[in-house]
Amino acid sequence: MGTERIKNNRRKFFQNSAALIGGTLMYSFIKPFKVFAQSKEEGAKTDKANIPLWGMGIDIESCIGCGKCSEACKLENNVPKEPFYFRTWVEQYTVKNNGEVKIESPNGGIGGLKQSVPDEDIFKSFMVPKLCNHCTNAPCVQACPVGATFISPDGVVLVDESYCIGCSYCIQACPYGARFMNPVTKVADKCTFCYHRIIKGLDPVCVEVCPTNARIFGDLKDKKSDLVKFLQKNQTQLLKPHLNTHSRVFYNGLSSEVK
Amino acid sequence: MSKLIFRLFFSFVVFVSVFILIQRYLTPDSFGKYGHYRANAIEDNKISTSYYKGEEKCASCHQEVFDLKSEDVHDGVSCESCHIPKIDITTDCEVMPPTVEGTVEHCAQCHETNYARIKKVPQLDFKEHEEGKNCIECHNVHAPWELKE
Repeated sequence: MGTERIKNNRRKFFQNSAALIGGTLMYSFIKPFKVFAQSKEEGAKTDKANIPLWGMGIDIESCIGCGKCSEACKLENNVPKEPFYFRTWVEQYTVKNNGEVKIESPNGGIGGLKQSVPDEDIFKSFMVPKLCNHCTNAPCVQACPVGATFISPDGVVLVDESYCIGCSYCIQACPYGARFMNPVTKVADKCTFCYHRIIKGLDPVCVEVCPTNARIFGDLKDKKSDLVKFLQKNQTQLLKPHLNTHSRVFYNGLSSEVK
Repeated sequence: MSKLIFRLFFSFVVFVSVFILIQRYLTPDSFGKYGHYRANAIEDNKISTSYYKGEEKCASCHQEVFDLKSEDVHDGVSCESCHIPKIDITTDCEVMPPTVEGTVEHCAQCHETNYARIKKVPQLDFKEHEEGKNCIECHNVHAPWELKE
């Protein structure tokens, strides 16, 4: 048998190789197993024009740091009450006269933020509400090894709670610190723009309760939405634009101290 | 075809088929419909109770309070900003009315002096302003400048 194999000449080897490569190429054109596979293309072809693209605008000057948003978010989304778990929170930045920057967010701002620096030492001070920035190029989605976090067709970064393995890679990957490990469900948890509310036409709960309308929510594709008007009227910025995350949370009046 | 080649080819086919079968079995339904994720997870995210019902729901029973608020400075402040739903037992506001104590701490969340707050929002030092009294003893919260007495 061994001698027989050696007798096979070079021509036959090339013929077989060509047949194999040709066959593979043919297979890639025909794809006979496609019939058996799930109809993957079907969903992707649905009319994308009618799907909204959600985004949020935040007016830093309007935010008074009352913490109503953090409080409401915890209630609405069953976020654990401990002061380390937040889907949204408010930070108080205080730039002192000596250039020192103090960032405070006791209990995410719930119960109202209090100024700890006396007025005469303050150069400037402002509130920055933070939440998931719902990036177009989301680092958390890239980091997830199982496809348990994803960007929905309407532009919201969501977590598949039944599929997440709790490896926390996404928590490390998020440049905004917007994710946390939920101690009850043991999976990654994050802001969903209150997905259960926005599909019913309600605003996310942080937008609903904000007393000064510092948060504006809307459809980026709808030219008449409040958000688009907010973006037209104001010079908005993104957080950490150098990371090219192309997030969909727009800040008006963002100071360079905000990291 | 020699026996050796046949064996190799056969085992290759078996290996690939078993791999495809296992992959089909382990891949959840709807995975990959829109992208590298379970499309049904979008539906899962839609299922959640809305404890905050929105102003229109409140106004459907309390229209007169809603009108009073809308005409005064607290217009734009949603009912549920202050009347936080009580969700421990039920989400029904008739069973568990979302009452507010009206204490100084409650009003201070927005109205305590803070350098970072815009001056549009009235701010005061609660230690100097009528110390020991609750805000609602003088102020009508839905129309704060209509003082009681």
